[in-house]
Amino acid sequence: MDWGKIRFFLGEVLRNFTRNAGMQATAIGTVAITIVLLGLFLFVRAALAGMGANLLDQIEISAYLAPDATPAQVAAVHRLLIADPRIASVEFVSKKRGLAELRARTKGVIDTALLTENPLPDKFRIKVRVPEEVPSVAAGVRRLRGVQNAVYGQTVVRRLLQLGDVLRRVGIGVIVVFVAVAGIIISNTIRLTVFARRREISIMQLVGATNLYIRIPFICEGLLDGLVGALLAVAILSIARATLWPRLLEALPWIQLNSSSVNPVVLVAELFLVGGAVGVVASWISVGRHLRT
Amino acid sequence: MISLRNVSLVYPNGVRALDKVNLEIAKGEFVFLVGHSGTGKSSLMRLLYREARPSAGEITLDGIRVDRLRRTRVPALRRHLGVVFQDYKLLVDKTVWENVAFAMQVTGAHTRDVMRQVPRVLDLVGLSHKSRMYPGELSGGEQQRSAIARALVNNPKILLCDEPSGNLDPTNTSEIMELLLRINLKGTTVVVATHNQAVVDRMRRRVIRLEDGRIVTDEERGYYYLGLGQDQILSG
Repeated sequence: MDWGKIRFFLGEVLRNFTRNAGMQATAIGTVAITIVLLGLFLFVRAALAGMGANLLDQIEISAYLAPDATPAQVAAVHRLLIADPRIASVEFVSKKRGLAELRARTKGVIDTALLTENPLPDKFRIKVRVPEEVPSVAAGVRRLRGVQNAVYGQTVVRRLLQLGDVLRRVGIGVIVVFVAVAGIIISNTIRLTVFARRREISIMQLVGATNLYIRIPFICEGLLDGLVGALLAVAILSIARATLWPRLLEALPWIQLNSSSVNPVVLVAELFLVGGAVGVVASWISVGRHLRT
Repeated sequence: MISLRNVSLVYPNGVRALDKVNLEIAKGEFVFLVGHSGTGKSSLMRLLYREARPSAGEITLDGIRVDRLRRTRVPALRRHLGVVFQDYKLLVDKTVWENVAFAMQVTGAHTRDVMRQVPRVLDLVGLSHKSRMYPGELSGGEQQRSAIARALVNNPKILLCDEPSGNLDPTNTSEIMELLLRINLKGTTVVVATHNQAVVDRMRRRVIRLEDGRIVTDEERGYYYLGLGQDQILSG
């Protein structure tokens, strides 16, 4: 290993990097903002996807029994439900237990003590094996004698998936614009350092340095801009995750916010990859323009 | 070593810098290229180190067809050449040692070779004792000697000097010319473009005279003005 060569090379990169500190700060800041947005977008998308899948898995049908249903009718309905091969499990929930569950779920949000009588009917809680069969099962159950209605959270799931779709489209547009802006700013920064070092470059060309060799320090500079920007962004995102996320959970208890489907290592790796790639591509282009002349 | 056949160079603005130039320079020669400013001396130099390409004609340098050379092969050509300019083209934020080493380092040379070669050329140009100084701390002659050391550090076969003494006083000019002569005696082919009449007349080397982009005279052991001995010039 030729340490002298490495020291010379790193010295050149470092000198470049520190020479235009103001411009470098601008480039790094832009990359950081871009990557914070990208990180938020990727996080929300992953969380939503996780939530959607989770909700689909959890989806259950509530078969509310008519208030005047006889015990024989109830028993018949129970037998039929157990016999249905599409149904995974059936559970009888009395109106009393239903109220207790409601109390537990809405504790601190809605004061159920205000209720003077129990408004809930008895119901069967049905879990279906395959989410796609939920609508047909619900329709069948609704026709049974003694059953008043059978409902499941159809609108919630649909809206959630729609919201995810909209977020994805808007998000991709925003990210594309920001990545482009970050690229342009990095490329301008590199062009300034190229301009500041045009004497050095012309001498390098004169003594027979290859274009690749001339290019590499500038590429490293762009890469450094991108990676430092990504580092800054990851720091900002980590702080946000640690401080804002618990408050968000607290503020929105009825939404099943869940970040367990987000793999932080993969996310951070993606962000660094994007930052580095933007830096390399932008500097490659701006040095190339200079070398061609 | 250097061969030009019917070389013409027309700039995009229509100026004809060189017009059907034919020239042969042998290995180990020392050649002056003379003529007024704007007669094509620098253009000819630029063609040789492939900073420009001829509009027509063939240029061969040490067996390499320079006119046909692809862009990616230019660095390889330039490692065979040393180039020296009137304005030295030193990097002001690097020491003499670093300036000279830079020329090797950017070609990817091994540090072991840099450490061996740089002191050798600095000794040759007589600047070993000032290797840690910056260009701003040196005289013009010393700066030009640094530039020559840089041009020589990659062991070129050909040294091209474009007005090397243009910014120097007579004493420094003489020193630079003596240095170039010593380099030539070690076997390097040296081409010097100049309009310094005194230098040319004193050195009595091959003199190629350009006028309006054409070679008008080419003399072994010539004077700045063709066919005229110094006495004749002085007597008018």
